[in-house]
Formats: sequence, structure tokens, C-alpha cells
Amino acid sequence: MDMRLFSHINWPLIACITLLFLIGLLNLYSASGTRLEDGIIVSSFYQKQIVWGVCGLGCMLVTLTFDYRRLKNFAWIFYWIVLALLILVALIGKNVYGATRWISLGGISFQPSELAKIAVLILTARLLSHDGQPLGWKRFFGLLVIGFLPCVFILQQPDLGTSMMLLLILGGMIVFHGMRAVVFRSCLVAIPCCGALLWFVGMHDYQRQRILSFLNPGLDPRGTGYHILQSRIAIGSGQLWGKGFTEGTQSQLRFLPERHSDFALAVFGEEWGFVGCVTLVSLFCLFLLAIFSSAIQAKDRFGSMLVVGIFFYFFWEILINLSMVIGLMPVVGIPLPFISYGGSATLVNFTLLGIVLNVSMRRFMFKG
Amino acid sequence: MPDEQKPPKTNESTEPLLTDHEESQEHKAPSWLKIPVEQEQYQPPRGGVIFLQVLIGVFFFVIVIRFWYLQMHKGEYFARQAIENRMRQEYILAPRGRILDLHDNILADNRTAYGLTLVREDCQDLPSTLAQISEWSGQPLAKVQEKYAQDRIKIKPYEPILMIQDINFALVSRIESEIHAWPGLKIVVLTKRSYPERELFSHILGYVAEVNEQEMRKDPQLAMGDLVGKQGLELEMEKRLRGSKGLYEVEVDAHAKVMGKSMRDEPHGGRDLKLTLDRDLQEACWEALGTATGSIVVMEPETGKVRALVTTPAYDNNLFAEGISRKDWQELRNNTNFPMQNRAIQSIYPPGSVWKLLMAAMLLESGVGVHESVYCPGYARLGKQIFRCWKHSGHGSMDLEHALIHSCDVYFYIMAERMGIDRLEKFAKQCGFGQPTGIDLPHERSGLVPSKAWKQRRFGKQWVRGDTYNASIGQGFTLVTPIQIANYVSSLLNGGKMLKPQLLEKESVESRGNLPCKRETLDFIVNAMHRTATVGTARVVSRRDAIMGGKTGTAQVVKLRMAGGNRRVRTKDMLYRTRDHAWIATWGKKKNKSYVVVVMVEHGGGGSSVAGPVAKKVYQYLFDEPKTGSKS
Repeated sequence: MDMRLFSHINWPLIACITLLFLIGLLNLYSASGTRLEDGIIVSSFYQKQIVWGVCGLGCMLVTLTFDYRRLKNFAWIFYWIVLALLILVALIGKNVYGATRWISLGGISFQPSELAKIAVLILTARLLSHDGQPLGWKRFFGLLVIGFLPCVFILQQPDLGTSMMLLLILGGMIVFHGMRAVVFRSCLVAIPCCGALLWFVGMHDYQRQRILSFLNPGLDPRGTGYHILQSRIAIGSGQLWGKGFTEGTQSQLRFLPERHSDFALAVFGEEWGFVGCVTLVSLFCLFLLAIFSSAIQAKDRFGSMLVVGIFFYFFWEILINLSMVIGLMPVVGIPLPFISYGGSATLVNFTLLGIVLNVSMRRFMFKG
Repeated sequence: MPDEQKPPKTNESTEPLLTDHEESQEHKAPSWLKIPVEQEQYQPPRGGVIFLQVLIGVFFFVIVIRFWYLQMHKGEYFARQAIENRMRQEYILAPRGRILDLHDNILADNRTAYGLTLVREDCQDLPSTLAQISEWSGQPLAKVQEKYAQDRIKIKPYEPILMIQDINFALVSRIESEIHAWPGLKIVVLTKRSYPERELFSHILGYVAEVNEQEMRKDPQLAMGDLVGKQGLELEMEKRLRGSKGLYEVEVDAHAKVMGKSMRDEPHGGRDLKLTLDRDLQEACWEALGTATGSIVVMEPETGKVRALVTTPAYDNNLFAEGISRKDWQELRNNTNFPMQNRAIQSIYPPGSVWKLLMAAMLLESGVGVHESVYCPGYARLGKQIFRCWKHSGHGSMDLEHALIHSCDVYFYIMAERMGIDRLEKFAKQCGFGQPTGIDLPHERSGLVPSKAWKQRRFGKQWVRGDTYNASIGQGFTLVTPIQIANYVSSLLNGGKMLKPQLLEKESVESRGNLPCKRETLDFIVNAMHRTATVGTARVVSRRDAIMGGKTGTAQVVKLRMAGGNRRVRTKDMLYRTRDHAWIATWGKKKNKSYVVVVMVEHGGGGSSVAGPVAKKVYQYLFDEPKTGSKS
């Protein structure tokens, strides 16, 4: 590998990733603590997260070794394989907590729906890189079909969160690329209609319940509204400076549910207060800006669209998780990148950022 | 990876072939090994760039504003909520003070009992928990549910509701072995009140019972399930007896597991009350009254200390302390004999001839000479009306002393006519009638001293002279309580001091003023009482070993005699409700002991024939040597 590539690496992005990952680890250490009568016990989440981080770093380095443009060749094959896996899940998948999302291959379980997001992302980037013309009806519907096909199977599992993420990434990339005015306006009308249809036909009762309890958490404070109430209390009680590292009562005394995964931010908010939260949000914004700058500096359309897709991948995850934890959105099981504990999520995050670095460091290496 | 670097270079060199790019790949190598290269110069779409920048900007501001709202604007509110989440207050009950008699016999005591509480926040399956409580306690499920529904609205979710009050040992051990399967339930130790003397002191002690909503609203220290005084001394001395509860601050986690406890306030037990009452004397009075309905007051005239205060019939106050059943309560309430009433302070009667003790004082203070006499022919005429003396044959010429000794009515008719009702009213009120004595018991009655204005107000009729006649011998409208009579007689003996009747041994004597009488007046009346008890109507109480004094009274309930009936009807032939009330107000002095004893028997008949013997029995207990020897 050419050493010149390293001189073009996106250092600000790496700095953001490092900082976020370390903050996440620190927070996870606190979130793993449980106060008992005779002291604090700390579970091993933060240690595992270190291991996953190292593995993720490995994945990142691997993605740097090849030219990202090669992905274009595999876009379709990858897409069809993922689709096949999704069908396989529907047939022989493992049922965990009433949802069939996992598939077991040679002792390793994984969720093909995670891969589906990446597959659709790469394929969309390839299809949009054809030219810079705003999308007409034909190409727009082509992309929609590509997005909805895996969505059908993912909704079947059922997994509303992942299918929603998938469509949001697709949508973000399409809007970034641009479409004809008439298509855009039609979408503005169609999306609310689809939402209504989803509410009455496509949703399960528990999903409706979540949305209702989001709108009025007081309805059922011990049930579905509990997450929202306790999370708001945790964050709000942090006030300006927070209660201090490992001093959060909401998390240490287990009032806060899911405190090392989806609601890890609430632990952070409680212990570091408004100052810490604004710092963290700023850091996330810098992180997104670093990805964004890679997207506009990319020397070809495919690379740029790829990074834009990844941008949206992170943007939506951060936005949805933050909104959910601070009570701006119903509870959806989407983790916060780097802050929430999660093995496969860490691997996927680092791999995707590997692609971003790959695109950005090759921005001077060829002429377009 | 050198091969990766080369393709871009070759691409750059073969620029003219770019249009055939796809084809050339097919010839040279499998297409998936080639690096696809875009030809056109890439410029990011302007709209897209702006779109992303706006997205990031909006994201930042919306999220930061929301954090500001939660953490800064409503931060204090949520901080309070977080504390409420984990901090609970737990009260430590303070033992209620005991009530003891003069010789430290226990009149009201605490005993431990076991109760079952439910904390609804910790309860996972409420319906089956309630069903289980119903099974344990043997109460119907509907009743348990009703109790729960009533109590749950009054308290916070983490506060315990007392579901079963008093569990016996067999049940405690059964519940103890099963309770681990029922989160939210807990066996607690309660203190219960018990009254070992039962009926003997029930009117004085009153009782405690579970606090009601109204009382809780008035007193923030009270919490559900607390016992408070509802009647008698338990009510009157509530503050002193209750003491103050201790407070634990308990930190819990989300599963209600206790993390730590710290005591914020220590509990302080209530103070014991030592009464002036003497349990054995009380019992002797109780026995003296026997089955009669009435009351006895025994008082020390110098200090106002009440040594016995007996009322019959009585009720068992333990019923209330244990939670009275509906049936028992109905029975007590519907009893026409009113066993709940403390007759010594809450019942008002016409005083009858006992009132002459007051009349005598008034006459002397109004300048009537002790030798001034009135002729009693057995009646007095007032217009067409005839007012009879109790002795129809007449007393002959009577001065004040003899009028008292023989209880001559005509003397007082004539004298009262001379004085007028206004003076009588004023004097009676100055002597403490028509107002409570201030004894430390709730719901004391005032009695009634009639006046012209009162009659006008009450009946819309003018005061007539006949009313004055009646008032002079304690009939008509005049009403008094036995404790008022006892207090008045005490004042005569102690030199005119009007004292508050004392129930608490340790309290200092509390004076409420003086009788509007000179020393000679008092001495005269006391002497006249002594003569009455020696040769007069109160002979029945006379003793060789003590100096005694007394005055009897037979208060008419129905105006039989005044209606002019000539024939005296024998008491036992009359309907119970129309029979006369029997009074006797006495005092006795032996060595350094001095007592006032007032006996009142409702519808008993003659004062000397019914009340007198009762008083005699009381003095037998007080003054007889062998009994005092065996005591203490």
C-alpha cells in the first residue's frame, strides 16, 4: 500500500472516532455499575466493549486495504446474497424474544437485516453514481423497489426499527442526489399517507402502544411509559454540571432500564449534566461534519454517494437514539453509535468508517 | 498493493478509449476484478450539500434546546423526582404513654400485636395478593378489596397499607412461612391499647381508634393506621400521650431493595399520665351504686383532686381499641340507658334541694339575717297557684339554718321572691354554675341557670313569679351536672376557692376565682350541712368517727306536686322515666383526710333514702379502719 495514502487520511474524523469511543467506554463503565447494600459491583460490559473495539479496528484496517471502487462490482451480488439470507431467516431463523431476526451459521449468530442496510447502501450508491441528473420517475421507483424488497422481509421478522433505518438511509441518499421537482412533491404527499397506512395496517399492537405511551407517558407509568419517564428524570436531574462520574442514582439504583444499550445516553446525561451533553452533541456534529467533508471531497460520484449513505447511516442512528432518550420520539430499539454497548454494532460502525477513510484518503490518487 | 495503484494510471493513459470501457473489461479480465472508473469530473450536487449542512445545523440546535429544557429549565423538577424515586420515609412509632392511677395501677396499657401491611408499589400481582390476604384473614374478598380501595387513595404508592389489624400467633407463623411468595406484604409489629379495668374507667379514659381522614388533615404528624384518642382522657391528653414518631430515611433501588437507612428523627415515647383517681375507691363507688343508673364524684376539697368519678351503666372501651364490630356499636348506640355517657359531667339534672346550699349563700350575702324567720304552713300561695312544701303539714317558723337542715321549701320561696331572679342568676353564675368546671375531659356540659332574657329567648314567654319560686328550690329550668355540685361544695369547704377539678396528680392546683362569699357565710353553710347530717335530712351519712356534712335533694322530673296533687305517689309505683332524681351532696373529715362526695341516682326516688345509703357506703370505704389498713 502506498504510504502517500496515509498522509491523506482524514485525521479529524479519526480524532472524533477515538474521542467518542473513549467517552463511550467511560460511560459504559459507569453504566455497568450497580450499587448494592455493600458497595458497587461492575459488570464486564466495558471490558467486552474494549475487545469489540479492537476487533472493529481490525475490520477498519481491512477495509482500507482495497480500493473502494471495487465495491461497485460486488454491489448486486452482495444485495442478492443478503436477500437470500433474509428469506432464509424467515424460513429457519432463531426466535428470540418473539422476533425472528437471527441466523446461525457455523456457531456464529448474526442478523442479516444489519447487512441489508449496508447492501442497499452500496447498491444505491452504485445506481446513483450513473450520472448527476435529478431522478425521474423510472429511476426513482427502481430505487424504491430495491429498498422495499428487503424491507418486506425485515418487517416480517418483525423489526420496524431496522426497516425504517433502511428506508431513511435510502431516502437521504436520494434527496442528496436530487430528484425532479414533480417526484419530490409527490413524495411530500405520499409519505404522510404511507404513515397513516402503516399505523392502521402495518403495525403491531406493541408498536402502537409505544407511540401512544410516548405521546402520554403518564398513561402507564409502570409499563411502556416507564422507559420514557425514567430516562427523562435521569437526564433532567443531571442539571447543569451533572451528578458526577458513577454518581448517577437513576442508573446505579437500576431505575433506568437498558442503561448500557439503548439508554446509555441517559446515564451520561445524568452524570455529566447539560455541559457534558452539549459537549457530546457537539462532538457528534463534528464527527458528522468530518464524514460530510469526506463526501464532498471525494473525487468520484460513487465514492461520494457511498460516504453520503454512511453519513445518513450514522446521522439517523444518532438522531433517533438521542430523540428517543430525551423524549422527542417514541422508543425504538436503535443504539447510539460508540456510546451504546453492542458487539456487532461496533464492528459495523468501524467497518463503515473504514470505507469513509478509504474514500477520503484516495481523493487525490486519481483523476476523475 | 501495487496492482491497485496501476489501474488508475492505465486508465489515465487510455483516455480516448473511455467510451468503450465496459467492452474492454470483458476482453482483458473478468469484470469483477477491474476497478470501475467514472469518467466525468465529479462535483457534489449543490442542493445535496446545502441539505446535509442544514440537517446537521438543525439537529444540533433541536437537540441542544431539548437538553436545555430538560436539564436547565426543568432540572430542579426532575432532580426532585429522582430523589422521590429512591428516598422513602419510614416512620418509627413511639409508644403511647400509659395511664396510671394514684397508686400506679395501670389503667391504660400498650400491648404488642402483629399486623399485615401491603405496599402497593412493590406488589406484582395485586388481585391474587388481595385474594391471599382474604384467605389468611378469613374475611370475604369483597371486604378486603373494599378496604384496599378506600386506603390506597389516601397514601403514596410506597407507603404501607395495614390490611390485617391483629393477627394471632398461629396465623403469624403461617403467614411468615408463606409470605416470601408475596412481594409487597410484610408482617409488622403494632402496639395496641388495652384497658385492664374495662368498664370501671371507660368514661374517664375514653379510647383510641384508628385515625380518620378528618383528623389526618388537621394534624400532619398523623399517618394512616395510627391510633389516636377519640374520647375521654385519650382524646383530651392526646398530645401528651402520643409522643413523637421517629423518622427513617430509607434509600431503595428500583426493586424496592433497601440500600441504606439513616435515622433522621428519633422517636420519643409519650409521657405516662398519673391520675388523681384511686382505682380501689373507684371500685368501691362502683359497687356502692350497684345496678342503679347514676354517678358519684369523690373530690378533695383543698386541691380539687378528683379521687373517684364513677358512672353507671358503663361500656367496655377495649371494644373500641380493638376495632368495634358493627353489631356491638349498634347495640351501644341504641341502648336507651346511654352507657357511653359520662353522667358526672355530661348529664344535666335539676339539682332539687341541693340547690338550697347556693340559695343560702346568696341570702347571707344579700344581708338576710340568720335569725330572720319565715312561717311555713306547708304551702305558699301565689295568686291562684299553690306551691307546696315537701312536708305538707308544714315546718312552722323557720330561720335559715333550720330551713337548710329540714330543707323547708316555703322559706326559700318567700326569700327568693324577695331577692328576685336577677340576683339569683348573677350569684349562681359567679359560683360557677351555667358553665363547665374545666375538668380535663371532653364534652363537659354547662348546665343552665335560667334568667328572664333566657326564658324570653327560649320560649318567647315572660318570666313569672312562679318561675322564681321553682328556681329557688332547684326545680323548673335550673340544670346542673354532678361535678358542678361537687365543685361548689368543695369551694364551701376550702374557704371559697373555686378550683378546676383535677384529674392529673402531678398538675398544680388551678384556681378559677373565688366564691362571692364572706368567710362567715361559708362557715355558716358548712355548719348547717354538718347539722343536716347529724339531725336533718342527711342523717343517713352520719358517722361516729368522722365529722360529716350533707344536703339531700329530690329533683322532680314531672311536676306532680306542683300540679297540686295532694297524694304522694310511692316511687316504685311510678313509671321509671317519671321518677324523681335522687341527690346527695356530702363532705366528711377524719383526721387529716377530707372528702366531698356527691351521689346522683337517676330516677332513684328520694335523696335521703336512695342516694344517702350509696354515699354512706363510699364513706365506709374511705373512713373505715380495717379497709384502710388492708389497703396500699
